[in-house]
Amino acid sequence: MKNVNKKVIVAMSGGVDSSVAAALLKKQGYFVIGIFMKFWKDPSADSGQSGENRCCSVESEKIARLSAKKIDIPFYVVNAEKEFKKAVVNYFLDEYKKGNTPNPCVLCNREIKFGLLMQTALKLGADFLATGHYVQIKDGKMFAGSDKEKDQSYFLWMLKPPHVLRLKFPVGALNKTKVRALAREFGLPAAESPESQEVCFISGKTNDFLKKYLKKLPGRIVDMRGRTIGEHEGLWFYTIGQRRGLSLDQKSAFKNSHGSTKPYFVAGKDFKKNLLVVSNDQSDLLKKEVALKNVNLLSGQKYPFRAKVKIRYRQKPADAVISRNKIVFSKPQKGVTPGQSAVFYINKEMIGGGIIR
Amino acid sequence: MKKIYLDYASTAPVDRRVIKAMSSFLGENFGNTMSLHYFGQESKIALEQSRNTVSAFINAQPNEIIFTGSATESNNTVLKGIAFANKEKGNHIIISSIEHPCINESAKWLEKQGFKITQIGVDRYGMVNATDIRNAITDKTVLVSVMHVSNEIGTIQPIGEIGAICRERGIYFHTDASQSFGKIPIDVKKMKIDLLTASSHKVYGPKGAGLLFVREGIKMDPLLHGGGQENGKRSSTVNIPAIVGFAKAVEICKKEMRSENARLAKLQKKLIKNLLKVKNSGLNGHPGERIANNVNLWFAFTEGESLVMQLDMYGIACSTGSACSSMTLEPSHVLIATGLRPEQAHGSLRISMGRWTKEKEIDYLLKILPKIIKRIREISPFKEEAFV
Repeated sequence: MKNVNKKVIVAMSGGVDSSVAAALLKKQGYFVIGIFMKFWKDPSADSGQSGENRCCSVESEKIARLSAKKIDIPFYVVNAEKEFKKAVVNYFLDEYKKGNTPNPCVLCNREIKFGLLMQTALKLGADFLATGHYVQIKDGKMFAGSDKEKDQSYFLWMLKPPHVLRLKFPVGALNKTKVRALAREFGLPAAESPESQEVCFISGKTNDFLKKYLKKLPGRIVDMRGRTIGEHEGLWFYTIGQRRGLSLDQKSAFKNSHGSTKPYFVAGKDFKKNLLVVSNDQSDLLKKEVALKNVNLLSGQKYPFRAKVKIRYRQKPADAVISRNKIVFSKPQKGVTPGQSAVFYINKEMIGGGIIR
Repeated sequence: MKKIYLDYASTAPVDRRVIKAMSSFLGENFGNTMSLHYFGQESKIALEQSRNTVSAFINAQPNEIIFTGSATESNNTVLKGIAFANKEKGNHIIISSIEHPCINESAKWLEKQGFKITQIGVDRYGMVNATDIRNAITDKTVLVSVMHVSNEIGTIQPIGEIGAICRERGIYFHTDASQSFGKIPIDVKKMKIDLLTASSHKVYGPKGAGLLFVREGIKMDPLLHGGGQENGKRSSTVNIPAIVGFAKAVEICKKEMRSENARLAKLQKKLIKNLLKVKNSGLNGHPGERIANNVNLWFAFTEGESLVMQLDMYGIACSTGSACSSMTLEPSHVLIATGLRPEQAHGSLRISMGRWTKEKEIDYLLKILPKIIKRIREISPFKEEAFV
């Protein structure tokens, strides 16, 4: 077989995607090694309940191990708890403290999966690192996964260009149904693993987690004209566009709306005055210009350039012009949220991104 | 690929002679030692013969031996059982800073129950100074526990000296001999040991059997209460097959220990001499006072974890610290106690040999390991800027 001397490390989470990735590479003749990374999990969470940190739980490790055994590849566990806590969890909490709504997976991919694990892979003499992400690589460029529902290129914009050359995403060209079918065909114990949740280290609701680690700092909720219409618990517990969980003074909210029954949502935060600004007019959420930080370009585009931009994971990309640290959309966009990633695409190629300021 | 096992300090295969001795007790001789009938009596006889063999091996009386399920259980029983049974005498326990987690964690738990624990440090070779023990003893001290040989770095502790100090002060002295039992001579009378822990699976016996020597007249509460087996010190249906196997394993060790030690010492010398040729490396543990089957070295700019994984890919099984601690990235508490910097401790590798280790296996390791170290160092984070 042609790939027989090439060594690939596969990050196996116990999920169906990474298990099938490992099996496919083995079929292609690679020398495959499975690695399960142990991540930090909220120690105060009651692990006996359903809210166990799924992707890092003992159960996931077991499924990954059994799947590796079935595929017949060496399997190792790498403990990344400390690094994960530092690079991902602390970042997550710090961002919330600043009032942003971060994407922890973006940081995890850069620092842990394609950072720490890449280091481990190179030390093991590996030629490639593979994961079960729905992303495609062609000629050293990264493209959206062909299953539109599952495409995960949004979470990989922060990778370093030299990393991309060493990556493999064996399920990127498949759709989820096919991946499950393959897992069953290969007889993998991971075939029936449930879909992973969004933030793997949080067991229940994000706000409950935040309340454990961040202090309450009550303040006023004001409408766009500055009138007090309620009280908030601390700005970090709210995100732009959020409607639920706002404790509004019903009377004043009603009065201010002049008979309109449109619901209020979070339109902004004033950190200096500790004010949560709400509105019931959708147009207050619209923004044409968005400032960025930490911009990372994977292809060598020159500013300014046109691209399609996604400002949250489950969203259709919108036309925009990107200049240094700034995006100008052709049409105003709803729900621009500081801390979230803005990811750039040109013809399905994911060329980079930045963090919304 | 041929597999080479160099992790005997973590566990060992069961000797075929042991399997043979055990087999009838997995089949026709299945009786419960507590039963009055023929089947029970056959088992009871086997149990007492095993006790005779094992007690004689360490110069103890048969009634001073309690069979347990593991060394961890023996150690838990000693710490908790002595602490609670001697409360009126005192509440202070002394341990060393390089004990196995089953001692450390038991001590921590006792601390939560109101007992006082003192940890005695070690020198750069991982050696406890007996004078430090003497100085730590107070009139509230009830127990001193220092392991005989370190499971990680192989240093042999001055057990006899510590035993003499404790005996003189009327304090119970316990040693965890999991790594020395069956490998070097132990005489509980000469060494003035009051309590001793040993394990079956480290000496080519089956897993699931341990022993606890408790000198006659010592007050100790049991951990497991129930049917009163093992003289009331350890209730549980007696695991006869494992105990018979353990005793057979001891019998073999008694015969072969001396020649085996000399053979392993040669291989040990060869390993250490050649691996220290690797630049930026060093020996962990004592160069002289060291168990013959243990080699533990640090290699700067490497990580034990990747060394172990890569060796595994060549079919060689080694370990970073002890098997129990290699799942965590915490640097080994034993290596840190010897004054190693965390990054040196991280790059440490334990090679532990045993009954079936052959010189050509050692030669193969000596061929492969320097290559692996070289590769890891080439990709060390300090040099791999493009990827950081």
